[in-house]
Amino acid sequence: MARAVTPEWHSALRSAPSYGRAMGDQADLLAAFAGSWFGEALPAQARMRLVECASLREYPTGAVILTELDETRVFGIVTTGRVGLRVLVPERGSVTILTVEPGDVLGWSALVGPHRSTSTAVALEPTTVLAFDPSALRAALSADDALAATLYPRLLEAVTRRLTATRHQLLDLYAQQAEAVPW
Amino acid sequence: MVTTVAARPGFLRRDDLERLIALLQEGGRTVVGPTVRDGAIVYDEIREVADLPAGWTDDQAPGRYRISQTGSDRLFDYTVGPTSWKRFTFPPRVPLLTAGRSTAGNAAFDSARPDPPRLAFLGVRACEIAGLLVQDRVLSGGPFVDEDYRARREAAVVVAVQCTCSGKTCFCASMGTGPGVSGGHDLVLTEIDGGFVVDSGSPLGAQLFSRLPITAATPEQLASAVGGVAEARTQQTSGVALDGIRDRLMDQLDSPRWAEVADRCLSCANCTMVCPTCFCTSVTLASDLDGRSTDLDRQWDSCFTGNFAKVAGGNFRSRRQDRYRQWLTHKFATWFDQFGSAGCVGCGRCITWCPVGIDVREELAVIAPPYGENAQAAVVAGSPGVYVTATVRSVTPETADTSTLQLEPTDSGLLAARPGQFVMVEQPGFPPLPISISRVADGALWLTIRAAGPATTAVIALRPGTQLGLRGPLGRGWPVERAPGRDVVVVAGGIGLAPVRPLIDALLRDRSRFGSLLLAYGARTPADRLYTGELDRWRAAGLEVQEIVDRAGEEWLGSVGVVTNLLDQREWRSREGIAFICGPERMMRATVSTLRERGIPRRRIFLSMERHMECGIGLCGHCQMGPYFICKDGPVFAVSEISDLMREGI
Amino acid sequence: MTIDAGRRPRVGVVKLASCDGCQLTLLDLEDQLLPITERFELVEFPEATSRRSEGPYDVLLVEGAISTPEQAEEIVHLRARAGLLVTIGACATAGGIQALRNWADEPTWRASVYPNPDDISSLATATPVSEHVHVDAELRGCPIAPDQLLELLTALRVGRRPQLPDEAVCLECKRAGNVCVLVAGNAPCLGPLTHTGCGALCPAYLRGCYACFGPREQPNVDSLHRWIATDHSDEEADRLFAGFTAWAPPFQAPAGRALPIADAHAKEPDGA
Repeated sequence: MARAVTPEWHSALRSAPSYGRAMGDQADLLAAFAGSWFGEALPAQARMRLVECASLREYPTGAVILTELDETRVFGIVTTGRVGLRVLVPERGSVTILTVEPGDVLGWSALVGPHRSTSTAVALEPTTVLAFDPSALRAALSADDALAATLYPRLLEAVTRRLTATRHQLLDLYAQQAEAVPW
Repeated sequence: MVTTVAARPGFLRRDDLERLIALLQEGGRTVVGPTVRDGAIVYDEIREVADLPAGWTDDQAPGRYRISQTGSDRLFDYTVGPTSWKRFTFPPRVPLLTAGRSTAGNAAFDSARPDPPRLAFLGVRACEIAGLLVQDRVLSGGPFVDEDYRARREAAVVVAVQCTCSGKTCFCASMGTGPGVSGGHDLVLTEIDGGFVVDSGSPLGAQLFSRLPITAATPEQLASAVGGVAEARTQQTSGVALDGIRDRLMDQLDSPRWAEVADRCLSCANCTMVCPTCFCTSVTLASDLDGRSTDLDRQWDSCFTGNFAKVAGGNFRSRRQDRYRQWLTHKFATWFDQFGSAGCVGCGRCITWCPVGIDVREELAVIAPPYGENAQAAVVAGSPGVYVTATVRSVTPETADTSTLQLEPTDSGLLAARPGQFVMVEQPGFPPLPISISRVADGALWLTIRAAGPATTAVIALRPGTQLGLRGPLGRGWPVERAPGRDVVVVAGGIGLAPVRPLIDALLRDRSRFGSLLLAYGARTPADRLYTGELDRWRAAGLEVQEIVDRAGEEWLGSVGVVTNLLDQREWRSREGIAFICGPERMMRATVSTLRERGIPRRRIFLSMERHMECGIGLCGHCQMGPYFICKDGPVFAVSEISDLMREGI
Repeated sequence: MTIDAGRRPRVGVVKLASCDGCQLTLLDLEDQLLPITERFELVEFPEATSRRSEGPYDVLLVEGAISTPEQAEEIVHLRARAGLLVTIGACATAGGIQALRNWADEPTWRASVYPNPDDISSLATATPVSEHVHVDAELRGCPIAPDQLLELLTALRVGRRPQLPDEAVCLECKRAGNVCVLVAGNAPCLGPLTHTGCGALCPAYLRGCYACFGPREQPNVDSLHRWIATDHSDEEADRLFAGFTAWAPPFQAPAGRALPIADAHAKEPDGA
């Protein structure tokens, strides 16, 4: 349900990016990873390797996690909360095109060149993200073919789901609903 | 064997139940009754009232059984558990005979003589009496009598208890076997506060009755007992359409649905083991090492086992689907031919104790539905063919292009509309419009209409006091009666929330009958959402409401994306679930995929379909989809009915 | 089986890769042991007697899985010298718990256990006897049930087919009056898929069956797996099958999903 936006919150959107606050230990990281939609399909030893590049980060409401067109700061899985992906449309302002809910990924562009964010990601409520450091993650993947071979297909699945959903949004299905026989 | 003896119902105080047990124990009789063991209420020896499950109640669902303590002192506030009285009248293992062979080649056969223990059954429910009567017919009503069974039956005293509550898997009411006890008992008790209303049903019962400290029952006590049984009856929301079931089932021997059940069925035989009327057995052999003496015993067997139908050179029922079909058709069809009644008594044990929760009520509804259910919508009161006038009471804007009209029809038959039905709306001078009913309340039909063309634009511009014509209510609505006991998911897109609102009204009116309730609602933008003022009231009434929009500005802090996103990331997978979806067809299809991944079967996902309609009663031919007319066979369909029809051009 | 009417059938009991528990079951038939030895000649039974025989056997009870090259050769010789070959126990009938290594990389595995792995000669897989030679009868279980062994010997004497019903454990549970642990206790139980014979032992103690008797005919693995996975998880459901009869064909797929152990030992060959 939509809540009122306070002025201070609003100006925070134009402010510096947030890196969140780190928390949790190795066991928490693994648990969060294994329990997510993205992570549960990966083999256990792949998760163990990947989690070495990760930390659990807490973002307050309004925190800017990614900035459109900047180098992608984080590849992550939202574990609690909600992240809005926004793009700036001239004359229309900022439009939210998608919210990333718990279990889904954020910042997949970190793993696909040119490693720049395609939208601005803002925490719409207090949010926790299992955040992977992009350069460490890229380095681990290029050093280990087998690890890459487990991760990229799953990433492709996540992006495909995003693409399919986006297509539905694009079709603007609700606009065509008609109850009546138009004449 | 048992005759009804006229006796005034009396009242026995709870404290005096101990006297009944003592009376039953006279002469070395063992009382068997319900008691708690290993997480269930089973039938075992009862020595005193303290052995009975005071304060316990049960919660049953397909494949699930739990008991819990309520803290009351009531002794019979549960239904039936895994044991049936068959355990005592037709035990799992009974000696038949001993066969001996001497070294000289002679043979000797020594039959076992029935030597039944003297038992009193305390707490026999109506369905269980029906089960005993069914087995009486099978095992001692024909030319060949099972002497062991007959001896055990004759040696048992039956103290019945009328149910004052029903479980979710009970369906004795639809089978005509309960919950009231109408015969087959020596004594019958009905629990009320402070004690029991007692009646006798046989000479033995009358004797017991006369030796108990029974007082005359007051009118209040009698009413309380009657009310309790009535309450048990109303709690049963699902059952079997018994009328003509024999022929309906035998007509479906080649139905492709048997293979579908076989996909789930484990052929583990649990259903037959817990069933109070199943009687199949086989003979086991135990010989000494030389084979000189062999004990032959009779043991519970099941038509679901691999070797049941095996002969030299083959097996008549090697496939699971054949075994399931055998069981179901025997129980509900050929039993009529063999023994003059259904084999099933509606106790629900096979549903609860099936390890994968196969529900015979559902299977029968899918495999052998009552004739005409798929062919035509049941005619409801109202006016399907002729327009009746209705007056506009109010027009309330919902969004920029959508408003809700409240209409008072001159024919109150239209107010009997069921959730999911629609009306044909006629404004003089305009083409008729098929509009789903979005609520029936305060003596009015509420229609939520979007201005999508000249006719709809004109309707929502009407002023209160103007009249319209209505025909209806039309169509087959949402099968709310399939939902009790289940987790319900309602998915609506855009104006699709309107036909779904009466369904939500019905669910929330009877909230306690359902499991979890979820509404996933998708709209174009936050401003296009319908009924925003009601959502909090729905949440408060126990409906979880999740909203999502296709896009939004910064002021929206809720979810953005497609409606399936709300279902995708959720933890739940529900094999018990049932789903109702209404929205653009493409959105409905994507939602069906997601729900199937989450474990909800196609036969329990319902869609409201839309096509061009001119008449609304299947006579103009426009709204056909394959074999169906959307107006009269729908608009609500189960996905299993139409999945191969959802293609371009159909 | 044609046996000289005048002599006792010659019985051998041999072991391959196993724990000896099934052979012990024969010795557990305490009261029947003397009558058995009066009617059967135990010519080879290292667990019980120092008497030795290379065969021929009228009846050979074989315990254990084929785990080494030597055993693979030996079973062929034994088969040639046995009239009736009866496999006893989960190892001999399904490969046993040692078959879990069939999903792993055997050399790596061996290297992680033994300081001098080259001293050990083992096959990549531990397999049931029936994958090597024809088997006349099976006694399932881990260990086998004494009653079933007695019934087998009695049937051999009388000349009838032994009664070893191939049906679900559920029938035995329900006859005994056990409350179903799956339905009432939400304990994952493989009873509906499992060959009966144990007397429904585990559920009698409120523990779910873990299929030590192996699959029964036409086990509907997918259906029960789906059900258990909904209340627990896919991983837990898979793990249930990765036990003493994991290598039995109907159980291999879920067992295999629970056993990604190929690389688990790869990192530490020196046993860190």
